[in-house]
Order: sequence, then structure tokens, then C-alpha cells
Amino acid sequence: MRGGLGMTEEKCLEIAVRAVEEAQKKGAELSESYVSHSKQLYINVREGDVETVKVTDETGLAVRLIKDKKMGFVFTTALNYESIQQIIEQALHNAAKTSADEYNILPWPSNEYPSLNVYDPRISEVSVEEKIEIAKEIERVGRAYDPRIKVTESCTYQDAVYVSALANSRGIAVSYSGTLAGATSYFVAEENGESQTGFGLEFGVTYNAVQPGKIGEEGAAKAVRMLGAKSMPTQKTVAVFDPYIVTNFLDILAPAVCADAVQKNKSLLAGKIGQKVASELITIVDDGRMAGGIMSSPFDGEGVKTGTTTVIRNGVLEHYLYNTYTAAKEGCCSTGNGIRSSSYKGTPEVDTTNFYLEPGKVSQAELLKDVHKGIYITEVMGMHTANPISGDFSVGVSGLLIENGELTTPVRGVAIAGNILELFRSVDCVANDLRFFVGKGAPTIRVGSITVSGS
Amino acid sequence: MLTERELEKVLYAALGKGGDFADIYIERKDANGITCESDKIEKIHSGIDYGAGIRVVFQERTAYAYTNNVTLEGLLDAAVIVSKAVNSGKSSDVTISLSKKEVKDVSPVKYLPGDIPVEDKVALVERGNAVARAYDNRVRQVTVAYGDNISDITVVNSEGLFVQGTRIRTRMICSVVVSSGGIIQTGFESGGGTAGFEFFLNSTTPEEICRNAAARAVLMLDSRPAPAGRMAVVMAAEAGGTMIHEACGHGMEADLVQKGLSVYAGKTGEKVASDVVTVVDDATVPNKYGSFSFDDEGTVSQKKVLIEKGVLKTYMYDYLTAQRDKRPSTGNGRRESFRHKPIPRMTNTYIAPGEYDPQEIVAKTKRGLFVKKMGGGQVNTTNGDFVFDVSEGYLIENGKVTAPVRGATLTGNGPEVLRIIDMVGGDLGWGIGTCGKDGQGVPVSDAQPTVRIPEIVVGGILE
Repeated sequence: MRGGLGMTEEKCLEIAVRAVEEAQKKGAELSESYVSHSKQLYINVREGDVETVKVTDETGLAVRLIKDKKMGFVFTTALNYESIQQIIEQALHNAAKTSADEYNILPWPSNEYPSLNVYDPRISEVSVEEKIEIAKEIERVGRAYDPRIKVTESCTYQDAVYVSALANSRGIAVSYSGTLAGATSYFVAEENGESQTGFGLEFGVTYNAVQPGKIGEEGAAKAVRMLGAKSMPTQKTVAVFDPYIVTNFLDILAPAVCADAVQKNKSLLAGKIGQKVASELITIVDDGRMAGGIMSSPFDGEGVKTGTTTVIRNGVLEHYLYNTYTAAKEGCCSTGNGIRSSSYKGTPEVDTTNFYLEPGKVSQAELLKDVHKGIYITEVMGMHTANPISGDFSVGVSGLLIENGELTTPVRGVAIAGNILELFRSVDCVANDLRFFVGKGAPTIRVGSITVSGS
Repeated sequence: MLTERELEKVLYAALGKGGDFADIYIERKDANGITCESDKIEKIHSGIDYGAGIRVVFQERTAYAYTNNVTLEGLLDAAVIVSKAVNSGKSSDVTISLSKKEVKDVSPVKYLPGDIPVEDKVALVERGNAVARAYDNRVRQVTVAYGDNISDITVVNSEGLFVQGTRIRTRMICSVVVSSGGIIQTGFESGGGTAGFEFFLNSTTPEEICRNAAARAVLMLDSRPAPAGRMAVVMAAEAGGTMIHEACGHGMEADLVQKGLSVYAGKTGEKVASDVVTVVDDATVPNKYGSFSFDDEGTVSQKKVLIEKGVLKTYMYDYLTAQRDKRPSTGNGRRESFRHKPIPRMTNTYIAPGEYDPQEIVAKTKRGLFVKKMGGGQVNTTNGDFVFDVSEGYLIENGKVTAPVRGATLTGNGPEVLRIIDMVGGDLGWGIGTCGKDGQGVPVSDAQPTVRIPEIVVGGILE
């Protein structure tokens, strides 16, 4: 048994296998069961003291079954025999009312699952007290960074230890254990009655991923450099996007490369395989088995082995991402992207794993050097309102002016608008500073001309 | 279900290593969802989400644990975990005696979703889908999703509070994709309430929701990019209340105020908005999406005037922030589920209707943007900067609403906008949404009359 968990991999898998047997007995033609068990810790520190300690213990089971080419789905957090019987009957009942679809199938076992290490035993071994000290250290570093850092919004440490088990009636019976650890800092800098915020964060699969000094300093530095920010006149100008902002744009692009959206006419990249859709400097990869990747796992939410898919290579759209259903529809293979983004509470849908823009060759300083005048964008507001189907976005931004290759005065209260494909088409430089923010990664990029709406 | 004595035992265990206050929140949510896409009933989902969260407060520290094992044993385990996290160094000498309080239901339900056969819900979805599909030949995809849930909630605390109740919510969303000549546009509409199946018979029909979504998408196909720069903006009542939610609501949540993270901190009794602005948060409006009888800490729901004729009256409080300010909670302690500790949140928030005829407001605006429907938004409460998306907008030229525009966002500063709003209409329009804060999403509704902001930054494209 792996340390710190109430339910072992073996136990979770046993429950999943038994649920599949029950579903088959009750008349399902194909059935699948997913069991997830996790323990999480969340610590929030402010003003040198613990504000919140949260400890969670969660177990859930999902059943997906197919009868007469119709699919039903149910979940429960009650894992006793009666409850499982009851939800299987509900699933059959739900299935009967859905539309028949010949592509409703479940996968066969994969020939070989990648061997990955996404489990760090230290996360269960280290005491809560030591983890509280990490959060306090983040705050100390941030507050000491500059006297104008006057308020801590929050400094957090969080981790998780989890087990995922999956079984289906075609013979899949797989499980794995994983860990996550991360920390964040949110500070407020104040000067002359003005307040500005900044954040720092880092997440990884190992305990060592959390470096308090770096996270504390990042949040404080970002807050301080925004003091004195003003709007700028409406104009067309050069824009440089911080890696974090680029990952925000990747969030908008991601649904467009998922086969589900493509097949349903909801993707702006539908029918464009083999076509140039972005600048030749753009190569985007989805890697479900990346070493140390927070979204890495040996198998996806349907029990299919994870893979590495180059989605856009040198600006040319090469491949979409598939789960079992969308692959069956096109007569191709699942890319291992059937993701249960809401764990046991939802069906496995096509989604990204570790999704990143490959780094270029120049440093960020070299990328900035050629910019006579422009804006370096470090924060966006309202990105969740961007439209992933049309690719249109219109967001509030803040950042720093670039003058003669140098970052100068802070800017806020301006907006940019455009289309995500236009943006990736007009990228004229990609730096080498690839950085991951949870499941998305990107380096700094530069765009030749964009409309900035301001005063 | 656990007995009163058992719940008392768990509270004692939670306070076993000291603490000022403890509570238990038990929730069982039975949810159902139906999705129609590509002209097919693609998914019918059901789920049972059952768990309990235990909280102990000691001075400024909160310890929280939750479990899916809702038995005396499971809750005692969780109670021991929270008590260890508090570890005040001395035990608590509190005496706990639960006494059940009946709370009046503010959202009566006529037809329980659980009593409605699945086929009737499927039929509702299919009706909506048919209307959206038939609206225009440029419609490429229609997604209609129906959802209902029944939550049975029990809250007990170490002060003896014991309340139980049921919340029932139903909703429908429709998203339409249209394309023509290589341009893709989308339209979205939603409707829902703290109500039963009657919601779709009385208030808003599936046909209405889906027709609006399709019409909006088609209109955007024929629209030009929004202009960029500073201009006057008139927001229609039917635009929904995203602006007031973002520009003002979040900054009046007491936790942000107390942490010094709000531009409205220390401004009670001060003028923070123009005379024509009155802002209300009211969880007692029957059957609205953000309504409830008691909040997630067991406090009976209330109507609060946050800003009265421009003057800041009160913030929104939960138990903990109210304790700090030595006053009662306003019944704004909410949580997404048993997985989260309660924090101050909005419920149904609106700008109260004013005196102007909505048409007169447009007529008095020479040039600007008319916002008929807002999308989502976001605010930085620390400096008050906000942004929100315009999902249906038009130009105003010489006092008349003219050509539709797409891709506009409004970027502004909350306090500044509230100070300059110069006309408020006599109408009132509601919208629903899921508000996100600290990783927790809760159902809310917002409303506003037609209002005019004389000058705000519109993010668009410079031609």
C-alpha cells in the first residue's frame, strides 16, 4: 500500500471490476467503471499565521454503460453494494432514453502502458507543520522583498495523493497512484493610495517542485512593478506576451484541436489538417506521458495508453486529439485524450494533457531588444469570456511599456481584441523560456501589431 | 441520517483540542442532466454527491475537513483531523445543545424534478433544439442542456443551531454555432431558477431560450467589429447584471473588505456612487437562481441594501467576517458544496429601478454603444478594475440604436463607473450565472434597469 491513503490501488480496482461485473449481469452490453480516491491538503497563511487548513478525503465511482448502442452514465460517492446496484439500474434507465449511436464503444486493453513516475512518497511523509512553514516562508520572502508590499492576499501550500482505477468489460483493469504539490503567493503593493496585485505560483508532481523563495519573490515583484500604472492611448503597437498569458491563449485554442469539437462543427480548425494555420515559429504538442508533467498518467480516462501528439508543427495543423468515440467515428486510433476533467463526476471527453508551445532559440531579453515601442502584457482579465469556437477574444490587459528594448512604465486599464488564429499567425518571435502553469506551457512570444484600446 | 445526539458528539470531538466555534454541513445532492447535440440526445447523466464538511474556528484560524463517509464513524474521523489542525493548547468548555429551527421556504416548488419522467425532460430539450435548428439555414450546431438537482442540507453548529432544508434548482442552456463565408459566430442563452419543473412552463420556455440563442448567433454573423476607444454606453435591462456584479458586488464582500483587498474598505456611510444608484442583494426573492431560505451556515436569508442613493450602507457578511466586525451575519455565507468552507458571496444582486424611460436614455445619447446582452466578466477588487464581455451590442448613432457590432468588451473601474452613471431606467431585467471565487462556483442571479455610463473604454478593433 502506498503511504497515506485510506484506499489502496488494489481496493479501488477491485471495486471497479466488481461494478463492471454487476453492470454486465444486469444486461449492459459494454460497461466501464472508474474509481477515484484522493486525499488533499490545503494551507493558507496570512500575516504570519495560518488562516485555513483544509484536509479532504474523497472517494467516488462512475459507471458508463452501453446497451443497444445507447450510452448511460452515473456516479456516486456512496460505494456500498446497494448504492452501486441502484446507480447501475439508473444508468440502464438513462441509456434507454438516449439516441443510439454506432460509435458508442469502449476500448480494448492497450498493448503497452508507459511506465511513469508521478508518485512522490515524500508528500505523505512530510508533516503538516513543515508544510505550514513552507507557506509562511513564501509570505516572509514576499513581505521582505519591498516595503511597499503591505498586504498578503494569500500564501498557500497544497498537495494531493490519489489513486485512479479503471475497469471495463473488454478486459481493461488498470490503476496507478500519483501525487501533486504546489504553492501560490498573492500580494498587494501600496503606494500613494494606489494598490496593485501580483501573484507567483508553481505546481509539480514532487514535493521538491515547491520552492518558497522563488514563489514569494515572484508575487511581490509583480505587484511592485505595477505601481503607478496608467492607461495608454488607443493605438496599433507591438505586443510581447508573458508565458502565463500565452498559456491563457492556449486554453482558448485547446478546444479547437479536440476531435469532438471538429466533428460537431464547433472548431475553427475543422477541415484544416495539412494547412498552415499559424506562424512557422509555432509548434504545439500534447504530451500525456511527459516526465514530471502534472497531467501525465499511464492511461487516460478510458484506460487507453497516453501518447505524445504534435498538433501544430511549424505552423501547419498536423493532428487533432481523440478519445475512443471520436476515433471510432473517423476510423482512427484514440490518442489517449479521453480525459475525466471532473473526475468521477463526468464522462471522459476529448481534452488536452500537458499541452505546450515549443520554445524557440532566443532569450526573452533578445526578443525584447528589437522592440522600439510596444507593450509587454503580463496580466489579462476576462479571458474566460473569449470564445473558443470563433476564436474571438476581447480582454482587459495590463503590463509594462517597452521602449527601445527595455521594460519601462506600468500600464493598466487597456484592452486588446482579436482572433486567436490571427494572433498565432502574426507571431514573429518565440523565446526559449518555456514554463508550465499546471497543464499548459509556453515561452514568451512577440506579435508585430495589435490594437490596444485605451484612453 | 445522524441523530441530534450524534451530531452533538461530532461537534464536541471537533472542539476536542479547543476552538471558538464548530459547525457541520451535510449535503446530499441528486443531480440529473440531459444534453442534446448534433440533433441527438447524446447524454443523460445522473449522480449522487453526498458528503459532510466540518469546520472549527479558533481566533483567526479555520480548520476544515470533509468526507464522503457520512456515518458517525466517518464524521468523528474528520472531527479529529480538524481538532488536530486547530490544536489551541487547551480544550473547549462549551456546552452544545442542538435545537431544531424551522425556516420558511422562500422558493416553493410545484413539480419536483424527481417526479417528472425522464422522457418529459427529454421532450423539453428536443423542443428547444428544434426551434434553434429551424431558425436559420446557417445554423451549424445546437447544444441544448437541461439540468436539475435536489439538495438536502443540514447545518448544525456549536451554538446550538440546527436547520434542515431542501433546495431545488432547474436550468437550461442553449448554445448555437452559425457559420457563413468562413466566419463562425456563436450565441448563448440560459434560464433557470431555484424552482421545480414548472419553471419551464411558467417563466421561460425552452423555445424562448433557444430562439434567443440562435437569433444572437445569426445577428453576430451580420455584424461588424466593435469600435475601440472611450465612448458612452447604454446597457439595456435585459443585458443582465454582470456589470453591477463585477463593478461593485465583489468589492462589497466582507472578507475582501477586511483583508484590505477592496476599494470599498472603510467607506460605510460614504458616497461611493451617483445619487441615482441604489444596489441591493436579496436572497429572498422567490425562485430566483441565487435564492435560498437559509445560507450555507444556517443563517436565515435576507434582503440587504448595499448602496442607497449613492451611499454605502453595508457589506455582505458570513459568520466569520461578522464576528470580526462584531455584528450579525447578513446570510451571505455560501459554499459550492460540502467540499468547501463558506465565504461571503452574492445571491441575487441588482441595481434598483430609477425614473427614466429606457427609450429616452437612448434618445439622449448622441453616439455610443448599446449593450443588449452581456457575457461574462472579471474584477480586480483591489483596484476596482473590471472587464466584461458584450455578447450582443449595437452602435448608437444620433440617439438611435443602429448596426450590430461584435467582439466588444467594456474595461473600466468600478468606483469610477458608479460615480458617473447618470441615468437609470424604470425597468428591471434578470440574468443567471455561476459566480466563481476562491475556486468555488455558486449559482447567482443579477439584474439591472437600463443604465447609461457617459464614458467607458470599449475594447474593439481599430479600423
